Amino acid sequence: MGRLSVTILLILSALQGSNVNVYERNCVACHRHVSPSLEKLFFDYLLKYSSERRVKRALADYLKHPTKKRSVASEEVIQKYGLMPKTWLRDTDLHKAIDTYWETYKVFGKIK
Amino acid sequence: MSVSNATATSISHSEKRTLWRFLGLYAFLTLLILILGSTIYYNLQKDLMLQTKRLQLEEYSKELIDGLKLLHIYFDRYRTYPRNPLYRSAIYDADKVRIFSTLKHPEGVQLDKVIYITDHVIHYIHVLDSYYLGAKYVVVEIDDDRTWMMQTWRNILLYGGATLVLFLLSGVMLVRLFLAPMRHAIHLLDRFIKDTTHELNTPVNAILSNIEMIDHSRIDPKEAKKIRRIEIAARTVSHIYQDLTYLILHHQIASQDVKVDLSALLKERIEYFRILADSKKIGIETDTQPGVTLVVDPGKMARLVDNLLSNAIKYNRRGGEVFVRLRPGELLVQDTGIGMDEKQIGEVFKRYKRFDTSVGGFGIGLNIVAMIAQEYGFKIDIHSKIAKGSEVIVRWDV
Ligand code: HEC
Repeated sequence: MGRLSVTILLILSALQGSNVNVYERNCVACHRHVSPSLEKLFFDYLLKYSSERRVKRALADYLKHPTKKRSVASEEVIQKYGLMPKTWLRDTDLHKAIDTYWETYKVFGKIK
Repeated sequence: MSVSNATATSISHSEKRTLWRFLGLYAFLTLLILILGSTIYYNLQKDLMLQTKRLQLEEYSKELIDGLKLLHIYFDRYRTYPRNPLYRSAIYDADKVRIFSTLKHPEGVQLDKVIYITDHVIHYIHVLDSYYLGAKYVVVEIDDDRTWMMQTWRNILLYGGATLVLFLLSGVMLVRLFLAPMRHAIHLLDRFIKDTTHELNTPVNAILSNIEMIDHSRIDPKEAKKIRRIEIAARTVSHIYQDLTYLILHHQIASQDVKVDLSALLKERIEYFRILADSKKIGIETDTQPGVTLVVDPGKMARLVDNLLSNAIKYNRRGGEVFVRLRPGELLVQDTGIGMDEKQIGEVFKRYKRFDTSVGGFGIGLNIVAMIAQEYGFKIDIHSKIAKGSEVIVRWDV
């Protein structure tokens, strides 16, 4: 039984591949069909939560338990696009995805 | 002859020291108050300056935040930080991590403050409500031109200096005020001593010269003994007279320095004191090298020698010994008297100090010795043992 679960885990992680892949294959894949863009959403989080630590914590919070209260979107946007479905990613993968999300859009080192 | 001159120099060393200490303490307190006042003034000026700069800095920060807002919205297309040649700035996130900075002095930033001066720059900190680009703190920096500081320092130096001078002057005045009664008392004492001594001179000399004229062969031994006692008493008075005269007049009479034959002088003075020593059954032993000379005022040197001899006899026990030795550069006078302890030796040169009040005298003898020694740069060493005796060694350069 134990050996079986280990094998399944190995296969799963091999399927998921690197960090970038979790983010690309999960978040980006779905958000292609979603508006506003991930970049726009990122800057909304930045506007509200400021620092890396606080943004990441708020993101994890929302993605695990999406509620109106936690959302940064306005009432109208939520009316129009609805809330995000609760993520099915495991914690480690979710954090990897969020880390990649942060690295992709963070402003550090980009301002000239 | 000016009396005030004599008075001024009569204020003893320790009194002068007390006065200096008072003035020192006074100046110290004045400085303390001045420093305190200056610090308050300085800080007030600084706050005033910051208050005026603050309005300007608030304007700058508003302008900067507008720029940040635009940058936040159009970051996908446009990434140039809003700059202005009038000021430098920086943005920090909620965890106080620096996001971007054009500051000259980013090390000293204190985000918990609103406005402060550091390293010749002024920092103004504004906390944002909406964190554009994640920035919670905006820091605006301008150069501190320091004209206010120059102005403040100038004022502090100018007014502080003036106050200090004023305070010191009043301090000196206070000292004078305190001194007045003391000076008055010393003045009276000096006058009294001067008048007394003056009146003493003639009668004492009359007694001494008349005793000398007495033909001892023509009177019986019993009478001769009495006359001898009178002579001793007269010489003692004469000795005191000379000491007092020296004390009162020494600073008004310039020293007449000539080459003095110390050996001869010593011999003469010993002979003069022999009669006194004999009366106490004290023997005077001498070991004087002949031909020892020194360039001094003979009157002053006689005072020095007289006082050493007189003390050695005065404080000696009955039937004791006085030993005098003279070498080039050194004169030693030893007695077999009551002796002194360490503390007494330290105080021995103070005027009016006497250790044995049963013995006559004013306690001015060693004070005179010290004054003369000081004038000529002699070194004086005193060794003493209680109940054994003392020795005084006067040394000079040959
Ligand atoms: C199943 C599709 C789907 C997946 C997978 C998905 N999202 Fe979403 N996401 C949505 C939808 C739908 C919304 C709500 C639409 C909106 O608010 O604009 C949303 C909203 C969001 C928001 C805005 C939250 C708010 O406060 O309103 C963020 C941020 C976000 N997603 C990030 C992510 C990240 C990061 C991942 C990857 C871990 C991810 N999403 C995966 C569909 C998805």
